[in-house]
Amino acid sequence: MAQTQKANKAHSSRVLARRETISAYLFMLPSLLFFVGFVLVPMGMCLVYSFLDMGIDTSAATFTGLNNYIEMVKDPTFIRSLWNTILIVVVSVPVVTAFSLWVGSAIYPMRSKMRSFFRCVFYLPVVTGSVAVTVVWKWMFNPYNGLLNQIFGTTGFDWLGDTRTAIWCIIMILFTTSIGQPIVLYVAALGNVDKSLEEAAAIDGATRLQIFWKIKWAQIMPTTLYVLVITTINSFQCFALIQLLTRGGPLGTTSTLMYYIFDMAYNYQRFGYANAMGVVLAIFIAIFSAIQFKVAQSDNG
Amino acid sequence: MKHFISRRDFLKVAGAVGAAGALAACGGSSSSSTAASTSASSSAASGAAGGNVSISLWTYPIGSWGGTESKLDDIIAAFNAVHPEITVTYETLDYQNGDNLVTSAITAKETPDLIMEGPERLVSNWGANNLMVDLSDLWAGTEEDIAAVSASVVSACQLDGAYYEYPLCMTTHCMAINYEVFEQAGALQYLDQDTRTWTTDDFVAAMETIRDSGLTAVPGILYCGGQGGDQGTRALVNNLYSGTYTNPEHTEYTVNSPENVQALELLKSMVDNQSLNANAGFQASDELQQFANGTAAVTFCWNASNKAQYASQVTFTPYAMAFPSDDGVPELCGGIWGFGIFDSGDAARIEAAKTFIKFVCDDENQAAESVRLTGFFPVRESLGDVYEGTDQAENMGEFASLMPYLGDYYNVAPNWTEQRQNWFNMLQQIMVNNTPAQEAADAFVEASNP
Repeated sequence: MAQTQKANKAHSSRVLARRETISAYLFMLPSLLFFVGFVLVPMGMCLVYSFLDMGIDTSAATFTGLNNYIEMVKDPTFIRSLWNTILIVVVSVPVVTAFSLWVGSAIYPMRSKMRSFFRCVFYLPVVTGSVAVTVVWKWMFNPYNGLLNQIFGTTGFDWLGDTRTAIWCIIMILFTTSIGQPIVLYVAALGNVDKSLEEAAAIDGATRLQIFWKIKWAQIMPTTLYVLVITTINSFQCFALIQLLTRGGPLGTTSTLMYYIFDMAYNYQRFGYANAMGVVLAIFIAIFSAIQFKVAQSDNG
Repeated sequence: MKHFISRRDFLKVAGAVGAAGALAACGGSSSSSTAASTSASSSAASGAAGGNVSISLWTYPIGSWGGTESKLDDIIAAFNAVHPEITVTYETLDYQNGDNLVTSAITAKETPDLIMEGPERLVSNWGANNLMVDLSDLWAGTEEDIAAVSASVVSACQLDGAYYEYPLCMTTHCMAINYEVFEQAGALQYLDQDTRTWTTDDFVAAMETIRDSGLTAVPGILYCGGQGGDQGTRALVNNLYSGTYTNPEHTEYTVNSPENVQALELLKSMVDNQSLNANAGFQASDELQQFANGTAAVTFCWNASNKAQYASQVTFTPYAMAFPSDDGVPELCGGIWGFGIFDSGDAARIEAAKTFIKFVCDDENQAAESVRLTGFFPVRESLGDVYEGTDQAENMGEFASLMPYLGDYYNVAPNWTEQRQNWFNMLQQIMVNNTPAQEAADAFVEASNP
């Protein structure tokens, strides 16, 4: 009798567990379908296409093995685009992260209304369409009647058409459109820092820098990691600004991997080669993100 | 009582959702491609049932056939008055993203039935890639009429004996000057206003006069920031010393010829002495804006359509001119626009698309209006002067006087899409990077020739 009851109980718990599992899958199903349909399948297709010589007439595609990858290594424009992309990542990611943390720290102690005001101000470029942002910047950079030349007294200087300044202009605009979200995240993260630890450290004689570094920094590390990963991915995928402002010019000095992929696919109609570059870009992003996770984990102790 | 979903129920739901998703993803082009389009047919509700056929049309901004003030609703209404059995939905493209949308549609096999553009896309790109329907049957009976206006139009619309475009209109691309600035600077003396032509020497002298007058921020802008409006810079380079862009057979690019290199060197010297400004961040649309607001005294990208577009912005007289040439006889780049049909494999839709084309291009009550809506000139001699007696007559007369200078239509040369990228990159090399013109032109030819 007791054994039967035990067996029934075990059966009931298995049924319950199974039902819960099924419910969980059911909840996951819509996003899973989208993930498979719009992420996994395209990724798989991208990988397959990267081994093809494929133009606009896709039925005439031929298998070329690793030729696209070999060509990439020898392609000076690809190398240049890769370096430009790395430059953007290396410059913008630390600057955006540090600046956001600084601004977040400055905003956080303010009164509620002021804090909301500054959060809105810094978040505005994020919610403004990239086309509108670029139109405004294009006007500011205009060599003949733009605001920057009026301010600096450099009438006629072509900020976006000069090989020395074009990439820095792109980085600057990217910076203004990238800081909004990290600032909001940092303000929220600083609000979650355990106050009792700060007070205890202060009583023990810790300096403000020590409190920040040993207590706050450690507690906002998950936010920092998220900001680093998101900013890195956004920087790697910088495209709209370049497409709208410089189209990779002058002389390829603002061409990034994302733009070059687009250029190859849509202007040169070399889909196989563009897909191969897409695979390489994905690998780069994965490597950079993994490094950031590793470093952040080791920082966390 | 709690009701748990059984595994079987779950699988049923999952199967249904999956099937619905798959069906949505693989849906027909006519429904999915019209998300941002407008149906203008009174018979739209009837769909394809009862023998009715539904076709889709994409147009680039060719006068009022596209753009924000598209008159396509009126055209389709006129068509449906005669052919109520054919439903036409449309989508208007712009030149900024239009090519990308079409390329995406091609790779996704979601192309429209009909598309309105020029031979450089319909023939040399999509036609050459076996994506278009041969329209030879439409040409039967009209070829002579079109050839009477320009033999170039006939040859431009075909490839290897197949016609991939049925043309509606044409124009010549020219340049324009700010008449008042030229007048005040004393530069009008360099123009032949009777023929709207000038020589290369006169052009150089005029630009230096404008520069010295200081009436505009820059005399002119040699834009090389992208392919938009590249017909202007191509025509400028080719005309200065009577060079050609391709060989007569349109099989090879000849940009590195001595005449073209001499022209490129002249332009570079003008940039260096500031009688011209090179801008690697500008496309034609940016340059046109600077011309319209009086920053530059000339534009290298002008035609009737651009004049209409910027009419409300200019506070001066934009005066159309031919490109300067060493012998005073310009050869202007032509623009030809018409229709092509993507090969959907559906005979009924292809036939319906041909019916639509025939109506808008050849119907005696519609053809002239179809041309007028483009803002350009007819390719059929039988249509005569379609602007006569209209309020556009005076405006179009200015451009009609430049039509005799229509040069060779070379836009059907191979690798046309790719060479457009190479062209502005070459200009950047010369103007921004100080690369010798011969070296840059040789690199262009090597990269562009098949």
